[in-house]
Amino acid sequence: MLTQVTIKNSFESWRDAVRDLLSRDVAPCDVVWTAGEQGALFQGLVAPSRGGHRGRDFRVSREFIKLASAVACIDDAEKWPLLYRILFRLQHENPNLLMIESDVDVRRSRVMEKAIGRDVHKFHAFVRFRKLAGLDEEVYTAWHEPTHFTVERATPFFARRFGTMKFSILTPKGCAHWDRKKLIFSDGVDKPFAPAADEMEDFWLLYYRSIFNPFRLKVKAMKREFPVKHWSTLPEAVLIPELIREALSL
Amino acid sequence: MELRRKLEILADAAKYDASCASSGSKRKRADGGIGNTEGMGICHSYTPDGRCISLLKLLLTNVCIWDCSYCINRKSSPIQRARFKPEEVVRLTMNFYKRNYIEGLFLSSGIIQNADYTMEQLVLVAKKLREEEKFGGYIHLKAVPGASKELLLGAGKYADRLSANIEMPVQEDLDRLAPEKTISEIENTMADVKYGLDDAKDRGQKSTFARAGQSTQLVVGASESTDTTILTKAESLYKKFLLRRVYYSAFSPGEYTDANLKKEKTPAMREHRLYEADWLIRNYGFAAHEVTQGLDGGNLDLDLDHDPKLAWALRHRSLFPVDINRASKSLLLRIPGIGIRNVDRIVRIRRFQKVRLEDLARLRVSLSRAKWFIITADHNPDVFKLDRLSLPDTLKRKIDQPQLFASSILTTAVTGEL
Repeated sequence: MLTQVTIKNSFESWRDAVRDLLSRDVAPCDVVWTAGEQGALFQGLVAPSRGGHRGRDFRVSREFIKLASAVACIDDAEKWPLLYRILFRLQHENPNLLMIESDVDVRRSRVMEKAIGRDVHKFHAFVRFRKLAGLDEEVYTAWHEPTHFTVERATPFFARRFGTMKFSILTPKGCAHWDRKKLIFSDGVDKPFAPAADEMEDFWLLYYRSIFNPFRLKVKAMKREFPVKHWSTLPEAVLIPELIREALSL
Repeated sequence: MELRRKLEILADAAKYDASCASSGSKRKRADGGIGNTEGMGICHSYTPDGRCISLLKLLLTNVCIWDCSYCINRKSSPIQRARFKPEEVVRLTMNFYKRNYIEGLFLSSGIIQNADYTMEQLVLVAKKLREEEKFGGYIHLKAVPGASKELLLGAGKYADRLSANIEMPVQEDLDRLAPEKTISEIENTMADVKYGLDDAKDRGQKSTFARAGQSTQLVVGASESTDTTILTKAESLYKKFLLRRVYYSAFSPGEYTDANLKKEKTPAMREHRLYEADWLIRNYGFAAHEVTQGLDGGNLDLDLDHDPKLAWALRHRSLFPVDINRASKSLLLRIPGIGIRNVDRIVRIRRFQKVRLEDLARLRVSLSRAKWFIITADHNPDVFKLDRLSLPDTLKRKIDQPQLFASSILTTAVTGEL
């Protein structure tokens, strides 16, 4: 018999659901996962619902929690059945399943985990703060387009680093705001909210142009680490075509 | 001179130093300050030369009293000269950092007056950043060869990394191309930095001396020195001075390098192979002589057609095939196409089940290179071709995609994949 499970797009929501499923020994192939409450990503985080049916107790390794909380950020609904399948197999088939990295499910989850690591890393790298003009105090805003749901995972980094600076990071997948004390999350916004260039951007573009060595053009190597999909949010990327042209004419 | 023009000149002059690493140092943000380092390097941008921008890389000045022929900033070069005021570098660094363009500053300089004066000027900038701005980001300072030990030890208090560039592997090269430099003076500088590192270690965890260690750089292809000479030197530097990294920079004759030097550009692939070989020496248990010995026809440069691990395996086919399910870890590390992380995964997997070709495929092992050299739990038809005379030809470049350019190795240095 099929069991339908409706969850929000969050690790906590999934965790609450699988507690129930595991306690009733529902096989992964008997679960139909559907998404509920689209677009209200951050509301579910305030008070995840507990209680209800708690059933039998089971243990989950810290390693699995680490893996699952990363995979939960992937922008791919396949993640929920995949994580449940791994969890079920850990309980019923092999408690050491995660060691077998050539296993199809394990491999797939590790690839997703890696993609999240990369997305967070690129988040840290490609946010470009712009100072808001005409204010008495320094306030910075940035526009970024993460590939996955990594706003909550990636932005505490900025609070640690720029703790004395007020800032907001806006993305289509959620926003983060730092008031020098607390990091607050809100729902995603559209690109028209992206801030305008400030007075330093010119210097940054000048630096980018000057540090480029036209005698060793390696466009492929650049694109591998500097995916074209991010270029639209990076001010220096407008220079790339002309720098390549200049290098080719040497 | 206008600040914009200075930035243009002194960034352009700084780009020949390949290092842009910002990893390996941890520092919490100071109360009321800006910036920290969390151990991970971050590449904030990439230029079309495939190199990353992690640090604001500048010369304090491109005025230089030395005349090294491979260097664009040498005394006799007809370029425009400029010099930053220390506060200009501080302002640029802080403004770039607050916008998340960079992880920090890499400050080098031409030699003004003498080594000590130059070093003092560099330290002054770092001191202003740390003490006046409470800057907690990454700082890489050039260790000027010949600067006093006192100054170097002072520099290490503010800097995360120090680097004295050796430039050439042997004194004869320096005599010809950089007559003011000596290997012994540069090594003395490295020894002083190492003293600071050792001393800090002895004093325990609280110490803050150059937490990301020291590195150096060699120019490749401006002299006749072969890869064997270069790698042997690199290996001895790693051992003697506990360097974190040796960088290799392919010489490219530009508009302003000495016209008496070689006209041809050093192939990018040569630089790339040196980085691969260096990686094998540091992480795969290879000795420099193993990577370089027995290169055919008395050619003492690395094989451009095969990566150095594959070239080594082809020269030592009697040691193969290796049984994936039984071999020691150190032997698994010698199989072409299998990286360190996959070796660890294989060791874990085989505790629970036999490893088959399909397992390796799923781990994204480069089977096009590995399959000739291994025995798996299932039938591997290619291993019977191991002794074919034509194998080196079969394995020429077409499968050895030259996609791992030096820059990508630099940037993946943290992850440990080759």
